[in-house]
Amino acid sequence: MADKEATVYIVDVGRSTGEKRNGRSVTDLDWAMQYVWERVTATVSTGRKTAMLGVIGLRTDETSNDLESDPHFSHISVLSSIKQFLMPDIRQLGEAIKPSQTDKGDAISAIILAVQMINLHCKKLKYKRKIVLVTNGQGRMSNEGMEGITQKIKEDNIELVVLGADFDDPEFGVKEEDKDSRKSENEELLRNLVEECDGAYGTLEQAVSELDTPRVKVVKSMASFKGHLQLGNPEQYDTAVRIPVERYYRTYVAKPPSASSYVLRSDLAGGEGTAESSATVAPKGDQPGDGNTLTSVRNLRTYQVTDETAPGGKSDVERDDLAKGYEYGRTAVHIDESDENITTLETFAGLELLGFIQSDHYERYMHMSNSNIIIGQRGNDKSALALSSFIHALFELDCYAVARLVMKENKPPVIVLLAPSIEADYECLLEVQLPFAEDIRTYRFPPLDKVITVSGKVVTQHRNLPTDDLLDAMDKYVNSMELVDRDEDGDIIEGLPIEDSFSPVLHRIMAAIRARAIHPSGPIPPPSERLMKFSHPPQSLIEKSQSHLEKLADVADVKKVPPKVKGRKRTRETEKPLSGLDVDALLHQEKRAKISPSNAIPEFKQTLSLAEDIESIKGAAKQMAAIIEDQIKNSLGDANYDRCVEELGVMRDELISYEEPASYNEFVTHLKNKLLKEELGGDRREVWWLIRKSKLGLIHQRESDQSKVTEADANEFMSAK
Amino acid sequence: MADNNPSREDDQLDEEEELDDTGYKSVKDAILFAIEVSDSMLARRASSDPKKSVEESPTTAALKCAYHLMQQRIISNPQDMMGILLYGTQASKFYDEDENSRGDLSYPHCYLFTDLDIPSAQEVKELRALAEDDETDLREVLTPSKEPVSMSNVLFCANQIFTSKAPNFLSRRLFIVTDNDNPHADSKSLRSAATVRAKDLYDLGVTIELFPISNPDHDFDSSKFYDDIIYKASPTDPEAPSYLKLDSKDTTATADGISLLSTLLSSINSRSVPRRAYITNVPLELGPNFKISVSGYLLFKRQEPSRNCFVWLGGEKPQIVSGVTTQIADDTARTIEKWEIKKAYKFGGDQVSFSPEELKDLRNFGDPVIRIIGFKPMSALPFWANVKHPFFIYPSEEDVIGSTRVFSALHQTLLRDKKLALVWFIPRRNGAPILGAMVAGEEKLDEDGVQRFPPGMWIIPLPFADDVRQNPETSLNVAPEPLIDQMRMIVQQLQLPKASYEPLKYPNPSLQWHYRILQALALDEDLPEQPEDKTKPKYRQIDKRAGDYVLSWAEELEKQDAKTAPSGPKSTLVKRGVKDRVADAEDASGKPAKRVKAEHGPEALDDEVNFHYQKGSVSKLTVATLKEFLTSHGRSAAGKKADLVERVEEYFERK
Repeated sequence: MADKEATVYIVDVGRSTGEKRNGRSVTDLDWAMQYVWERVTATVSTGRKTAMLGVIGLRTDETSNDLESDPHFSHISVLSSIKQFLMPDIRQLGEAIKPSQTDKGDAISAIILAVQMINLHCKKLKYKRKIVLVTNGQGRMSNEGMEGITQKIKEDNIELVVLGADFDDPEFGVKEEDKDSRKSENEELLRNLVEECDGAYGTLEQAVSELDTPRVKVVKSMASFKGHLQLGNPEQYDTAVRIPVERYYRTYVAKPPSASSYVLRSDLAGGEGTAESSATVAPKGDQPGDGNTLTSVRNLRTYQVTDETAPGGKSDVERDDLAKGYEYGRTAVHIDESDENITTLETFAGLELLGFIQSDHYERYMHMSNSNIIIGQRGNDKSALALSSFIHALFELDCYAVARLVMKENKPPVIVLLAPSIEADYECLLEVQLPFAEDIRTYRFPPLDKVITVSGKVVTQHRNLPTDDLLDAMDKYVNSMELVDRDEDGDIIEGLPIEDSFSPVLHRIMAAIRARAIHPSGPIPPPSERLMKFSHPPQSLIEKSQSHLEKLADVADVKKVPPKVKGRKRTRETEKPLSGLDVDALLHQEKRAKISPSNAIPEFKQTLSLAEDIESIKGAAKQMAAIIEDQIKNSLGDANYDRCVEELGVMRDELISYEEPASYNEFVTHLKNKLLKEELGGDRREVWWLIRKSKLGLIHQRESDQSKVTEADANEFMSAK
Repeated sequence: MADNNPSREDDQLDEEEELDDTGYKSVKDAILFAIEVSDSMLARRASSDPKKSVEESPTTAALKCAYHLMQQRIISNPQDMMGILLYGTQASKFYDEDENSRGDLSYPHCYLFTDLDIPSAQEVKELRALAEDDETDLREVLTPSKEPVSMSNVLFCANQIFTSKAPNFLSRRLFIVTDNDNPHADSKSLRSAATVRAKDLYDLGVTIELFPISNPDHDFDSSKFYDDIIYKASPTDPEAPSYLKLDSKDTTATADGISLLSTLLSSINSRSVPRRAYITNVPLELGPNFKISVSGYLLFKRQEPSRNCFVWLGGEKPQIVSGVTTQIADDTARTIEKWEIKKAYKFGGDQVSFSPEELKDLRNFGDPVIRIIGFKPMSALPFWANVKHPFFIYPSEEDVIGSTRVFSALHQTLLRDKKLALVWFIPRRNGAPILGAMVAGEEKLDEDGVQRFPPGMWIIPLPFADDVRQNPETSLNVAPEPLIDQMRMIVQQLQLPKASYEPLKYPNPSLQWHYRILQALALDEDLPEQPEDKTKPKYRQIDKRAGDYVLSWAEELEKQDAKTAPSGPKSTLVKRGVKDRVADAEDASGKPAKRVKAEHGPEALDDEVNFHYQKGSVSKLTVATLKEFLTSHGRSAAGKKADLVERVEEYFERK
């Protein structure tokens, strides 16, 4: 469990913070709040009850604090006591934070007050204590009794952080020109205080710029398996090895938070119009719970079975009449509750070695899963010693081990690959899962370095093969695009920039949630630059490789296929059988006069390919239309629907290819009318639903130049129910 | 009420799901076997292996393959269809028609043995009987017709089956198994008719795959007839290479029965799944404004057993239930329309809500693309940097002409220089961006020259900083050289064949068992007793080959441990109780688990427990001891003491 935390933020809201300085587009206060909000919402998003915070306003118009009787503490207000911060607190703070009308109020007194607040709240309990002061350094600060303050802060083990707008920071490279002398003094005073307390002192610009770097949540791993690494069977042979080991995640994908479904509370839900506002509706008063205008959505399930005697072909069944089972093909297999585990393979937990392989015989792309580490049982030096000999033996022999892992009794076994990992201060086995026979799909692809013709001849010069020039240009380009990453100290990073890449979806959603929590009506922010760092090559690399890329593009001579040509009949070559026989000539002889409904798709395609004039194309389309309508009309239930959808799809594709979209558009318009007017054998709305789902509506201008239908019209046609 | 029906329809779409932009087609596959029945197809061929006296005819071999495929597809493609059409038979059967029907037969000498559909248990059973049971009455149908069958009729029969039973399927395939390479040698018109019907199938989108069988005295020559029937490209996948379809020509040319079966099996297996792209024609951006197009495939994907579902027992037969979900508001239980639903995140005890469009926008990082960010040496890719299976990509000429040659140049360069490309990969619109390592993979062939792994590139998704976990603290105990030397001997003794991992040798035991049991239940058969589990280590071999080395390693370990022990543990962790430590050390020793009984004492956990078992007093042991014993034997240690005692007793009873 993470430690309890108590943090007090002191926010300077003095009149001067309402000004924009040094060419910035935001006021000092807004600038400071970027930092404060980020930190506050980060704490809120953990949802932890033990991560508490309080807020003090400095240089406020009013005075409101426990020591308010003392004039030293005037113009300081406790905006929020130390507690778990929730949405209402965020809203309240949002309203309270605005530039005041005064510049009175002492930052040092505010720190004393914060120390006192923490003291009262935490007592002597174990807490991570922290005070963060954000100020623009204007106004008067008193240097009285600094020693006492320092001593108290150190005694209580409080971390003091001071961030100031335009505070000089040679390390970060900020120096304010023409700084007024009071601010200079204040900076000096604060810097000394922080240094005495071993705290952190910095300029606001740095703090804000670092907000862009996402914070990675550190998850403490639990062992996913504790058992034995085994070689041989100890129950049968006395030569078996058993080393107690533990297994932990090495990688595990961090998922973005998931959204739940809500609707507007029924007492608030009016018509469709009121549901439009997307943000959390702000509370109208301060009664608790008023901010919550949503209610959750529940799923209600009913169950149906196919029943030919019932209207609609389905009848409802009761939940109580149902039992557990599985599908075997299209047969339902029922399994009694008492036999629940009958299909579970009996296994016992363990990590059993199958054998060893040479690491250079292994293809890296066979890794199937996240990776894990295996270490010797913690606190057991002998097992660490035994495992270490195994790790080193693998390393010295360039071997990986293949093992069968069962994590718990009766869990399915997986095959894993174990690789040695030896670092100066850490030794372990790395583990990933390997595929089983069933996990492999044998799709075949032709070689990339030669072309084999239909007759089996091997060709090495072909339009699909690179020329020497192309290979040479590629070689140069690849070399010019070599990535060289450097760490903060400018040293070259050998590996991939994993530590530097952040999950874009995860952090973008988190950032959006926080942004919306603070500004309910604001638009969602774009992904931060930091998240998109690896979405493009670094600019320097692009510039460096530009000439090589131009050369490569030149030699490669690739041609983009315009989108409209894509669907069109390409080379007739592929339409011939292996022998190259001209089947069209045979079809010509056969003269199929009419498209027969039972063989509609082939005959429609063939009629089109033999058509000599537009009239024959239109004629074929008409015949097809009649066939489809007839099939819908005579369909028993939904029996013919899929077939009709296929025929419509073929018709649509072909008529786009033959540049005759009007025939299709005319037909589909009629069809829609007839379907909705129930003129094709009763209620056939399902067909219309299928047409919409399959996107078989009007052919619009982007799909075919000959079409007179705009994309908007086509969408309109589809959207109508 | 808690709804524990696992097969929910409203499941959010898994990103893994293979949703390709297939337009109006439904992403399913239908295979119809057309198996010829003739005297030569029924002639039994002896096995060349004297140990196996099984005789196999081409027809029965084909049926066995079909049966095997059917079983396999029930596991791997539960939504896909399969059917068996026998042709050249004396009997005819096509839906309601058979020889006894009035009027002319539509398809004489075509016998639709299994209708094209998702197989039912009954159909599996019948097919198995036909294929394997020499005595069955079903074999009657395997009587060849006296007059020749018309191939155009067979092809049209297949056409009609596909048209009516598998409309709108993305993939429809006709597997023809025959030894007759020239069915209409003497009739030009019958030949032409067949060619036209083959074109019909092509235009319908049906791919014909030929599994030719050569006779002992005659090699199958596809140029005589079938080259006019089979098309250069698949109608549904114009990128699919045509030459690969021919490789069975040589492999099935053998005459003997067993190898006939096995080659046919492997050749059919290799086509059991139609090639389905995961993503099609995605731009691969080599640099600004220089793109080629590629398609992506999932060649590795964990196959999971189907989830359980509800069945209704109220009818004559158990029936699968389909669930319908309606959504209601929690406060008033009124039914909700889809447009009313908002998505919200919990934050600070409240909900922060977004409109569906905003939510979509949040996941939008641009159009699908594979963009090369730069190159790195292969050695930059650590073994652990992995989060899931890779994506395979291969060039496609459909969007950008010339893609293949550029891809090939990149492939060759990366292979030669042992480099990888760092890529920014957005698989589909609104898909989460992946930072991946794109590595070149070489084509790998097996002994027979059949492709095992295709040439192409693999995109290995890398973990983000958020996905990397820190190693837990532990003590470092580096083994001294002598101990490593001993272990090295063991490792060297136990190399897997060819020192590599061959996945095809390891079927998933729990998946196979799951379906084996379901099949037995569905067919009302006796349950099998012992699962076949090829993932179990070969214990006898391990003992034989490495046993002696293990003993000397264990001896060395004792020696080294004794040496280091007095200096105290280097562990930073809390020390455990003395008893635990001793017991663990015993465990780690590699000493016989079954040791001499006299030694029983607190340090020998197994013996202690065994001792109590013999006396029937297991229940006297403490819960801690029981738990430790169970855990060390891979058993679950959950539950109350009574459960633990029961499990311990069960353990000994089984021995």
